[in-house]
Amino acid sequence: MDLTPREVSEAPRPRRRILPAVVAVLAAVGGLAVVAVFLTSSVDYYCNVDEVGVRDGCADDQRLRVQGNVDEGSLQSRAGQTSFVLSFNGVSLPVDYEGEPGGVFQECIPVVAHGRVVDGILVATRIEVKHSNEYKAENADRLDQAEKTACS
Amino acid sequence: MTVSSTGTPTTRVIGGLALLITGWVVVSAFFITPADSVQGDSVRIMYAHVPTAWIAYLAFVTTAIASGFSVARRHRTLGFDRVAGASAEVGVLFMAMTLITGSLWGRLTWGTFWQWDPRLTTTLFLFVTYVGYLAVRRIDTDPRQRASRSSVIALLAVLEIPLVHFSVVLWRSLHQEASVLNTDGDVRLDGLMLFTLFSGVVAFTLIFVWLVIHRQRLTTLSDLERVVGLDAAITARRAENSAGVTA
Amino acid sequence: MKDLGFILASWLITLGSIGMLAVVTTRQARRLSTRVPDDVKPWV
Repeated sequence: MDLTPREVSEAPRPRRRILPAVVAVLAAVGGLAVVAVFLTSSVDYYCNVDEVGVRDGCADDQRLRVQGNVDEGSLQSRAGQTSFVLSFNGVSLPVDYEGEPGGVFQECIPVVAHGRVVDGILVATRIEVKHSNEYKAENADRLDQAEKTACS
Repeated sequence: MTVSSTGTPTTRVIGGLALLITGWVVVSAFFITPADSVQGDSVRIMYAHVPTAWIAYLAFVTTAIASGFSVARRHRTLGFDRVAGASAEVGVLFMAMTLITGSLWGRLTWGTFWQWDPRLTTTLFLFVTYVGYLAVRRIDTDPRQRASRSSVIALLAVLEIPLVHFSVVLWRSLHQEASVLNTDGDVRLDGLMLFTLFSGVVAFTLIFVWLVIHRQRLTTLSDLERVVGLDAAITARRAENSAGVTA
Repeated sequence: MKDLGFILASWLITLGSIGMLAVVTTRQARRLSTRVPDDVKPWV
């Protein structure tokens, strides 16, 4: 049997595919970008109302994300402007927001307001509802109970 | 006659059960379970969102375990590596669905599609990591090299899962804490809601198993096709040479 | 049902993606199966 190697124009090299390599590099760059955005936008997502001006990273002369409960009876909507009072651990902060907050925004619910404190009022540019981890069926009994114990 | 699929009686049973239970979950999620007292009807997204997240975790853990076995056997058998790859493929799909359904739910509940909060960011990072893992698997055409490279990534990437799951406890997050697998062990879901969620997990686990079996067999076929092709080339070369000798 | 569009979209994307992966997998399996003899397929 003739086992002499065939003539080839160049030595065979192990095959590698280009497109997956590009995707792998993009994934690595994307991953780093995600980490960078995460670290620069602060690891803790928000400051609680009672920490504004007290805790490191919650100075009231900078843009903040402030978390607290919307006080019962504090919600007012007038000419496209929404005002309410945000409270946490016995400390309150009035909030003004241009527009109507989305999501399931209502009184007695925890929210995160993004904005700056101007003359003791948080002028918010964004409101997000922080939903609890409890899931309960919507029914008449629950609504009655909820009304009785609102904000408690 | 060749068997023209990767199916067996066992996979057909798994597939049938998965379809049946998924059907029940859809009916229950849309028509039987009540709306949530705060979220209203948007809670119906949760029955798809939470199981996809859990199955993505399960898939990535499976990938790590299979990669561990592959490393322990020094990649002598490629079966574990194929399971690792198939599981990661399914995991990436489920993680993508987690991000999309979570984003839709977030718009309805939080009022925003996306925020760079700890849970969302770490989940996105996990997703990107496994997209990278799948890309690395496709760089090398040699199955053994593929196994040795990707198993290292799989064993490191799985460490991100506890970070994702506990991100809502470690840091302050817009995302709520876990309602079932939480640190205090309480279950914060009403009965029927919990049962539907549990059914969703069972259905999606069966789908995951079905997909992993089939995709693992598909990789086996793809690897075998190369070997069969190589064998055919060797046979052809031998025939060619023996023809030359007799001529 | 409130927000039906969002809810339907979530479920359609979820089940649709799974269904598509299942179909693609089965089709690829059929195509490749014919090129590989049965005696080397571990599940046969």
